[in-house]
Amino acid sequence: MNVFRRPRRSAGALLLGASSAGLLLGASLLGPGRAAAQDRPADALPKRPEELAFAPLAFELPDPGKLRHVLPSGVPCYVSPNRSLPLVKISFTFRGGRYLDAPGAEGVAGAMGSMLRRGGTKSHAPSDFDDALDFLAANVGAGTSEYRTEASLDVLTRNLEQALPLFIEMLRAPRFDAERLRLYKQEVLEALKQRNDDAGSILGREWSALMYGPTHFKGRQPTKASVEALDEAALRAFHARVVHPGNLVIGVTGDVDPKEITARLEAALAGWAKGERVPDPPAEAAQPAPGVYRVEKDIPQGKVYIGHRGVQRDHPDAIALRVLSEILGSGGFTSRITKRVRSDEGLAYDAHAVVIPGLYFPGEFRAAYQSKSRTVALAAKLVLEEVAKVRAEPVTAQELETAKGSIIEGFPQTFGSPAATVGLLVEDELTGRSFDYYRTYRDKVRALTAADLLRVAKEQLHPEKMAILVVGKWEEIAPGDLEGRASMKDLFEGKVTVLPLRDPLTLEPLQ
Amino acid sequence: MSSRSRPPAAALALVLCLAGAARAQQVAPEELVLDNGMKFLLLPRKDQPGSITAGWVAKVGSVDERPGITGIAHFFEHMMFKGTRTIGTRDPAQDAKLSAEQHRLRGELRRLHLGQQYRRWRLGEITDPWDPKHDTDDMKALRAELAKVVEAQRAIIVKDEFDQIYTKLGGTRMNAFTSHDLTFYFITVPGNKLELWAWMESDRLHDSVFREFYSERDVVHEERRMRTESTPTGVFSEQFDAMFWASSPYAWPVIGWPTDLNSYTFEQAQGFFRTYYRPNNLVGVIVGDFDLAQARTLVPRYFGRLERGEDPPTVVTLEVEQRAPIRMEAEVEAAPEVEVRYHSVPFDHPDEFALEILAELLNGRTGRLYRALVEGKELATQAGVRQDSRKYGGAFSFSAECKGDVDPAAVERAWFEEVIRLVEEPVAARELEKVKNRVLADSFRRLEDNYFLMLQLGYYEALGGWRYINEAPGKLAAVTAEDIQRVARTYLKETNRATALFRRKAGAAQSPADAALEKLPANLRPMAKQAMGQLAQMTDPAQVQAELAQLEAQRAQVPPDYHPLIDFVLERMRERLAALQEGK
Repeated sequence: MNVFRRPRRSAGALLLGASSAGLLLGASLLGPGRAAAQDRPADALPKRPEELAFAPLAFELPDPGKLRHVLPSGVPCYVSPNRSLPLVKISFTFRGGRYLDAPGAEGVAGAMGSMLRRGGTKSHAPSDFDDALDFLAANVGAGTSEYRTEASLDVLTRNLEQALPLFIEMLRAPRFDAERLRLYKQEVLEALKQRNDDAGSILGREWSALMYGPTHFKGRQPTKASVEALDEAALRAFHARVVHPGNLVIGVTGDVDPKEITARLEAALAGWAKGERVPDPPAEAAQPAPGVYRVEKDIPQGKVYIGHRGVQRDHPDAIALRVLSEILGSGGFTSRITKRVRSDEGLAYDAHAVVIPGLYFPGEFRAAYQSKSRTVALAAKLVLEEVAKVRAEPVTAQELETAKGSIIEGFPQTFGSPAATVGLLVEDELTGRSFDYYRTYRDKVRALTAADLLRVAKEQLHPEKMAILVVGKWEEIAPGDLEGRASMKDLFEGKVTVLPLRDPLTLEPLQ
Repeated sequence: MSSRSRPPAAALALVLCLAGAARAQQVAPEELVLDNGMKFLLLPRKDQPGSITAGWVAKVGSVDERPGITGIAHFFEHMMFKGTRTIGTRDPAQDAKLSAEQHRLRGELRRLHLGQQYRRWRLGEITDPWDPKHDTDDMKALRAELAKVVEAQRAIIVKDEFDQIYTKLGGTRMNAFTSHDLTFYFITVPGNKLELWAWMESDRLHDSVFREFYSERDVVHEERRMRTESTPTGVFSEQFDAMFWASSPYAWPVIGWPTDLNSYTFEQAQGFFRTYYRPNNLVGVIVGDFDLAQARTLVPRYFGRLERGEDPPTVVTLEVEQRAPIRMEAEVEAAPEVEVRYHSVPFDHPDEFALEILAELLNGRTGRLYRALVEGKELATQAGVRQDSRKYGGAFSFSAECKGDVDPAAVERAWFEEVIRLVEEPVAARELEKVKNRVLADSFRRLEDNYFLMLQLGYYEALGGWRYINEAPGKLAAVTAEDIQRVARTYLKETNRATALFRRKAGAAQSPADAALEKLPANLRPMAKQAMGQLAQMTDPAQVQAELAQLEAQRAQVPPDYHPLIDFVLERMRERLAALQEGK
C-alpha cells in the first residue's frame, strides 16, 4: 500500500485555551446561525479561530433504564437498536478471566477463550464450524482477558436465525478439538520464547510482579510447563466454571426489535444451567518496598517505571487524580513531566506519568520513560522533583483550565456510538457502578480547584514510597550523567535490589 | 475524469438484470458544488451523536509528478500543516522576509549541488553529490548563513499551532495520507465545531505559506529512511515497483526518490499548489451529527473564498503491455517472502469486480490459500491476494510469508497450482455463494462508522465517483463462475507476471551504514541497530551534538572490545548531524 500517514505525536496536548474575551467578541459578531452570505467578501470572515463562537454542544446522556432488559432467566441484557443497516451485533460477557488461573496453571483462561472459537463444537468439526459461519458471512470472536471471558457475533439480520444457534452451541458445547489445541500450544510456546527479546516486555513483566507481588495473578505469567500441561480437561473445567448464565451479561446493538431479540435470546439460553457466580478478584493491596530495582539487559538505554500502588476506581479522589494526572504527566506536550524530561532536557523521546485506578483492588501511579544509560538517573531525579512540586505548590489557573477543558470536551466521546454505550453499560453492570457516575462527572470535574488538587497530591502521591524499576546496562547507568547532575546513588541512598533476568520459557532466574 | 472504458455489452446486461436483486444499502450524500468548482458531499447521520468527521481530498498524487519532483505530492501532505500567514507565526511580515532569505540561500546551494557537485560525482571524486560531508567551502559558508536565518525565524514561529488549535477545541484523529492518485486531509470535531473546521481548512487552502519548507523536507527524508530504507524489504519493494511499471508514472514511490527529496524548490512547490490545489480539483466531505442547513451556509461562506484555477492537466502516459515475465530474487534479513504480481485493470473497470470476487475466494480463514498453503502444505504462515485498482491502471498480486525456512520458490509453485485450478475448474456454486454472502455483509459493515464512510466517499469521488459505493455491491453480486475463469485466464498468465522472491540471508549490504553494520561483531549489532533507531528519532542538531560529545567522552572509558560499536555509532551520528544541519 502506498499510503503515508504524517508522523503524529502522542495524542494528548488537549487545551481549552480560547480566551473568554475572544469567545464573547465572536459571539456578538459572528455567531454561526447567520444568514447565508455566499458572496460576502473574504475580509468579513473572522480573522482568527479564537473569534469563532460555538453553540453549546448538544449532548444528552443515554438513558440506561430504557436499554436494560432482564431475561426471564435473570440474565441482564442491554439492547440499543439502530435499524439503519441490516446488521446485528451481539456480545456475551462473562465474569471470570485470567485472575482465576491457579498458581502453576497460568494460561488456562487464555487457552479456553481462544479455543472456544477455534476448536469446533459438539456437532461441528472445527473446519465445518468455520465454513458454516463463513457461509453466513458471520463474524464470530471469543477470548479471555484479565477479568472477563467474551464472545461476539456480528451478522446480517437475515442470517441471524441460522447463525445464533451456531454461536450458542460454540458457547454451550465447545469441542476443544485436540489437533487445534496442539497448534494453539505451539503458537503460544513460540510467543513465550520471545519474551526477553524486548526490554519493554521485561519491564512490564517485572513491574507487575514487583507491584502486585509474585502470588497475585498480575505478577504471574504462563511458563513452558504450564502451557505444555494444557489439556482438554483443564479447558473444560474453566469453561464449566465461567461460561454459564450465572456470570453472563448480554449486549445487543443494530437491527433488532428489543422485544423480539430478548425473546430469541431467552429461547437460546433455555435449559442452560445457571452455575455459581465466580468470585471477584481479591481486594488486596500489597506494596513493594520503596527503592531502586534493576534488571540487567545489554541495551544502550535504560527503560524505567517509577511509581507506587494507588487508589480504586470509586475512590472519592479518583476524579481529582484524573485531572492531576493530566497536568502532571498524561496531557501530552503540555504536561509537566513530558515538558521537563523531553522538551526541556531532551532526555527521552517518551516521558509520561499516569494514574491508573484499579477495578477490584488499588491501582497505580506510574511514571515511565526511556533514556540513554547515562541520563537515566537525571531523568528519574526530574520526575521525582515534578512529583514533589505538584505536592508543594498549587497548579496554575491555566493548567487547571486546560486539563479540565480537555476532559470535559472529550467526555461525549465516551458514548460515541451505540456499541460504545452498550459496552460501557455491560461492564458497569458487572462491576455494579451506578449511572449517576456519568451524570455528575463533568460537574465534578468543573468544581475542582487548585486547592483540591494540592490536597489530593499530598494525600495520594508519595515520592518516598516509590519503587524505581530500571531495565538496562547498570555499569553505564549507575554513574549518571557526565556533568554530574545526578547519579543512581542519589536515589534512595544508593540502595539497589537486583532482580535476576528470568528464562523466557521457565521464568526461572538466569545466572 | 478517470479513464473508464465501456463495459462489454454482455456484462452490462448482467449487471442491469441483477441490479434489482441487489439488496445493498444506498448512501445518499447531498452534493453541493460551489461557484469556484469545489464539490462537497454532505451526509448528516445521527448514529454517532455529538461529533462530525470531515475531510477534503485533492485529486493529485504521485501519478501527477515527473522525474525531478517525485514525492512532491506527499510533501504537500506535510507542508499543509505548517501554517498560514495567520496560524503559526507571531510576525507574518518578518516571517515572510526570513523565508524569502532562506529561499535565496537555498537556491544558491541547490545550484552548487546540481552544478559543481554533480560534476564532481560524474568525475568520480565524490560518491553522493548531496552528502554535506562533501561540501566545498562556499557551501559551508552558505549553510552557516542559513543556520542564522533559520534561528531567527524559529524565534517567531508558533510551533504546531495548527495542531494545538484543533486539539484544545476537541478535534481528534487528525491526519492525512497521500496515495498514487490522491491526497486526503481529515479530522473528527465535536458536533458544534463545524465552523472551526471550515475556518481552519479554508484558511490553509487559501493562505498556506509553506513555512519550515527545508526542515520539513528533511523530516520527509527521515520518513523515507524509516519506512523504506530501514525496513528489511523496503528498498526491494521499491525496486520491484520500478520494474513492474514500465511506462506508467506508478513506477516511482509515493514518497519520492532521494535526490528529488533533496532538491525541490519553493517555486516548484508553489507551482504544484497553484496547479492542483485549486477548488475545482478538490472535494470536501462532511459526515456525522451536523445540521444540513448550517453546512449549506458555512461551506460556501468559507470555501467560497478560494479562487478557481484552470483545469489541472490529466495523466497521459498509460502502462505499455508487458511482453515477458519479470523476476527479482533478493536476499533480505527477514522471513522469506514471495510476491507474484500481474497487470490488471483500473478502478471501476468491469473486470475489477470479477477479480475482487476471485480474491475473496482465495482470502480469509476458510479461503483457498489458507487451507492449501497455511494448513494443508504448511508452506506459509500467511498468504493473500489483492486487486489494487488505481485511476490509470491496476495490479493483482499474490503475496505470502514462508513458514520457517521454506524456500519461497516452493510457495510460488503452490500459487501456480492455485492459478491452474482457477483457470481449469469452475468455482462450485456453494463456494461462490459463500463469497458473495461475505461481500454483501461487508458492503453494510463498511458503512457503519462515520469516519470510515467519510474516507470512502472522498476516496471514490477522487478516483471517479462516490456512487461506486452504491453500485459496486450489485456488480460484485453479478459475477459468475465463468467470469472468474475468464479473468484468471486473461490476467494471471505468464507473460503478464512479475515475481519477487525474498530469501533470508545476511548477505549483500543495503547501504553504507548496513555494510558497516555487517562488519561489527555479532554481539554488538543489536546495540548498534538500536542506537541507529534512536538516532533516527532525533531531529534537533543540538541534541545530536550533545550525544556525540558524550559518546566521544565515553569511548575512553569502555573496554576496547566495544570500540568498534562506539566508532560505528559515532560515524552515524556525524552523518546525522551533518544531514540535520544541512536542513536547517
